[in-house]
Amino acid sequence: MVNFTVDEIRVMMDKKKNIRNMSVIAHVDHGKSTLTDSLVSKAGIIAGAKAGETRFTDTRKDEQERCITIKSTAISMFFELQDKDLVFITNPDQREKDEKGFLINLIDSPGHVDFSSEVTAALRVTDGALVVVDCVSGVCVQTETVLRQAIAERIKPILFMNKMDRALLELQLDAEELFQTFQRIVENVNVIIATYNDDAGPMGEVRVDPSKGSVGFGSGLHGWAFTLKQFAEMYADKFKIDVVKLMNRLWGENFFNPKTKKWSKQKDDDNKRSFCMYILDPIYKIFDSIMNYRKEEYEALLPKLGIILKHEDKDKDGKQLLKVVMRTWLPAGEALLQMIAIHLPSPVVAQKYRMEMLYEGPLDDEAAMGIKSCDPNAPLMMYVSKMVPTSDKGRFYAFGRVFSGKVATGMKARIMGPNYTPGKKEDLYEKAIQRTILMMGRYVEAIEDVPSGNICGLVGVDQFLVKTGTITTFKDAHNLKVMKFSVSPVVRVAVEPKNPADLPKLVEGLKRLTKSDPMVQCIIEESGEHIIAGAGELHLEICLKDLEEDHACIPIKKSDPVVSYRETVSDESDQMCLSKSPNKHNRLFMKAQPMPDGLAEDIDDGKVNPRDDFKVRARYLSEKYDYDLTEARKIWCFGPDGTGPNILVDCTKSNT
Amino acid sequence: MSQVSFSSNEAVSLEKTVNNEQKPVETAIENIDSVYEIEKCTQWIKIHDFHKVCLQFPNYLLPDSSEVASRLEDKLGENVYILGDTAYESCCIDYIAAAHLNADAIIHFGPVCFSQTSASIPYLNIYEKHDLNVVKLKHAIEGLRNDKLIILVDTPYIHVLDSIEEAIKDQNVQIFRADKTESLPVKHKLVFVGDPGRKLMNIFLSFQPQKLYWFTNSLEEYVMDTVVLKKRNYLMEKIRDSRTIGIIIGTLGVKNYLNLIDRMKKVISASRKKYYIISVGRPTVAKLANFPELDVYLMITCAMSEIYDSRDFYQPIATPFDVEMALNHGSTDIKFSYDYNRYFEHCGRIEDKEGSRCEGDVSLLTNRIRGADGIEDSGGGVNGNNQIMLRSDGTLALNTSYGAGFLADRTWKGLEQNLGGTDVEKAAEGRSGLAQKYDSENR
Repeated sequence: MVNFTVDEIRVMMDKKKNIRNMSVIAHVDHGKSTLTDSLVSKAGIIAGAKAGETRFTDTRKDEQERCITIKSTAISMFFELQDKDLVFITNPDQREKDEKGFLINLIDSPGHVDFSSEVTAALRVTDGALVVVDCVSGVCVQTETVLRQAIAERIKPILFMNKMDRALLELQLDAEELFQTFQRIVENVNVIIATYNDDAGPMGEVRVDPSKGSVGFGSGLHGWAFTLKQFAEMYADKFKIDVVKLMNRLWGENFFNPKTKKWSKQKDDDNKRSFCMYILDPIYKIFDSIMNYRKEEYEALLPKLGIILKHEDKDKDGKQLLKVVMRTWLPAGEALLQMIAIHLPSPVVAQKYRMEMLYEGPLDDEAAMGIKSCDPNAPLMMYVSKMVPTSDKGRFYAFGRVFSGKVATGMKARIMGPNYTPGKKEDLYEKAIQRTILMMGRYVEAIEDVPSGNICGLVGVDQFLVKTGTITTFKDAHNLKVMKFSVSPVVRVAVEPKNPADLPKLVEGLKRLTKSDPMVQCIIEESGEHIIAGAGELHLEICLKDLEEDHACIPIKKSDPVVSYRETVSDESDQMCLSKSPNKHNRLFMKAQPMPDGLAEDIDDGKVNPRDDFKVRARYLSEKYDYDLTEARKIWCFGPDGTGPNILVDCTKSNT
Repeated sequence: MSQVSFSSNEAVSLEKTVNNEQKPVETAIENIDSVYEIEKCTQWIKIHDFHKVCLQFPNYLLPDSSEVASRLEDKLGENVYILGDTAYESCCIDYIAAAHLNADAIIHFGPVCFSQTSASIPYLNIYEKHDLNVVKLKHAIEGLRNDKLIILVDTPYIHVLDSIEEAIKDQNVQIFRADKTESLPVKHKLVFVGDPGRKLMNIFLSFQPQKLYWFTNSLEEYVMDTVVLKKRNYLMEKIRDSRTIGIIIGTLGVKNYLNLIDRMKKVISASRKKYYIISVGRPTVAKLANFPELDVYLMITCAMSEIYDSRDFYQPIATPFDVEMALNHGSTDIKFSYDYNRYFEHCGRIEDKEGSRCEGDVSLLTNRIRGADGIEDSGGGVNGNNQIMLRSDGTLALNTSYGAGFLADRTWKGLEQNLGGTDVEKAAEGRSGLAQKYDSENR
């Protein structure tokens, strides 16, 4: 670390209004990891020259080789906002007085649909999301999926149009075409946001808007980026217009006539769209002159734009020079970090509206209030969202977010697994936290304690949690809600060791694999076969590779993948089924019928769930779905796993 | 409940065998003397001067039993007793039933198992008599041509043992009887003259032959179905997951059964689990369904018992081998066999796991954490599994890990009372009869 020490970070951790927890989400190959690198380079952890090439957050060898992110990775960064930028932060909960520095905890997540459980886990511990869209391919399936998930978790999005270099160099789009492309993407994204977010809801309006500065443009690979704010600042003096007003003029249907110096809302013959004229034209000129090796032209142009090259860069030409020029002119880190600090919510702001989505218990108990106010002096409430393998084989760091209170090395805490119910002992452990750590890409740093609003890792907790859980010091605390994944483990393979004597190693490996991935299921079937179930073939391939190389360390035979299908009930059974109890003295009649439209979704969303008070639930079911009130009170169970969207209802009546 | 997957494996459905009990046999009157060796039986009884003799028949031979008994009574001039409906496996000598009569001896008819027996009432085995094409057997064996061939003759073919010996005496072949296998060497090439089935599998598991063939009408090579061995993985995991294990007594006649129960008790206790010993006569689904707090059944029975293959029971049925392998780290080099006497002597020392609890162990059945109890003892809390512990709110509660906790968690709301909501009515006569079919029902 070049710019800051653990002690300095620890100081920042207490300034909770200056914290931004964010994830980077996108469709696969839209450039999240590369873009993240330019942020990391700005925060000073890796050298600037390597930004865009290193994929800092791809910590695994196979991630580096395949250039695909498999596991989400967290890094902390520190960034100071200038005075002129601080005025953009108007909400007092978004900044501590007299503090310019911001602590940004960023999680880079995979884009491939097979790993979307990693995205879910990342979203849970963050409050904002940088949605990256490749401006050449536009909004894709996975863009919509992750964005929908983010909104559902009440994560505020900002947008970044990536790969502008491709649009310019490969597609050679003209300025107006490029603007149209951008506008279409912004619209598409806003349509998705509008579908899943209610403007009147607790999060308020979360639409992205270039003229507000919540949309960035640029190229992660070349390390440059801007928002309208950067350009508005450049032109503010020239036009003698306030930056905020100018930002509005630089986007959308705003045209400027250079001759008459008049703004217009309509396209005329001699006026030009402001975005093209003031933003795209200079960029096009730089690209054009440098890529066509017109040295005089760009040497004249650069000083005009205020670009001063370092001595050693002056000899470069072509693409190399282009990168240096753009990076010097519009450094990506600067623009992105400004966007993040200004537009993404602090934990103080976010936890206010996220609490009710996060906590299972009563919304006015100590834990709930602690989360709501992000209070470091309230009881500890921490959610562990995933397990990260350590260099010590078979052991994991429990990675998660402190929502309330403080987690400290050596403190005694209650570790509650997903099956814990208050008042019972199942899935509950009371143990000391061996160590709290800060996790930054490939590096781990010990830290004394971590207050609410921050992301950290814990050592020693992995023994008591499988994948996720809640850590608290509050005796009556309920669980933080389990995460809902958008995919399920439907692709299965059977594995066995090539050498039968290695079976115990395989079993041990499967247990480790279960922990290391939020989604994978490793089970022994009744037939005795060892099954690995994953979200897709790529997911399984990675799981099998990890199993073979890291977790079990033995050669493995595997069967062909099988996709398990689910059946549904489309119509009421035409006959009553009969079964007898083992002693043949009782008879059970049963039939199946489809549930009313919307009920399955309500169960999925937790609006109807097995832990509800049965009377309240029955009233809801009878009012919304016309269930018979007495029958609705007698739901025997939900399934599968006691929580799924199927119900077994006892419809027996006393026989008179 | 523990199954994570929603769909069941298709193979399970395909393999499921329908209960195929053997059809009753009725031997022609004129063959009774030879089939049941009435002469041999009378001789045996007279020589040993027995007075109370029991005749034990498997269910499917019961139709012949009265004829056999009356012939014996005629010859002996004394009463003999027929034992039907054997409590456990009909292949084992039913000492208990014989003890009820205070009998001197048992004559056991029909197929037998290899289980070494525990009690000391004299018995005589009379086997079934099946036909065998000895010439065909001879040709089949010539085809094998090996200097280390062993022929094992199953009990229904022992009556033709002489002719087999005669037919193949010029070949380098040893012949053993299936009822005398003590000196049978392991790891040889074996030809089993008899039906394929559980017995053949047991031979495979017990004697680990290089190659195993079976012959009834033609020679076939036996290939062990790995499903049986794979199933151990599941059962062991299930045992490790379980908190309460039911030791089901399925035999009173197999050697060492008491020692085994003792050992199982120790192994289970050493891994901080609870056990119930359940003796309900012949174990059936309905009887064992009365113990819902059990997580797995440990069946102690004869190696020939079909119960291990049954899928009807509410909980999986494990063998002592599975328990030993799952819970006792001391026993890792024993080999699986349905016959526990095969490995009983070789089991390792029982290691007490108190010190080295494997915390953080993930169950591969439920994908949950199993192992240690959650709360660290904070000075004089719990010191034993069956003691009372102090709950933090000051009330006393039973340590809820095991059976008592299971019962405490069990709730039954009953019919909704709806007090005050229903009119009071005079009592009227309800339905009568069995729930299977009430008297008022006409179906």
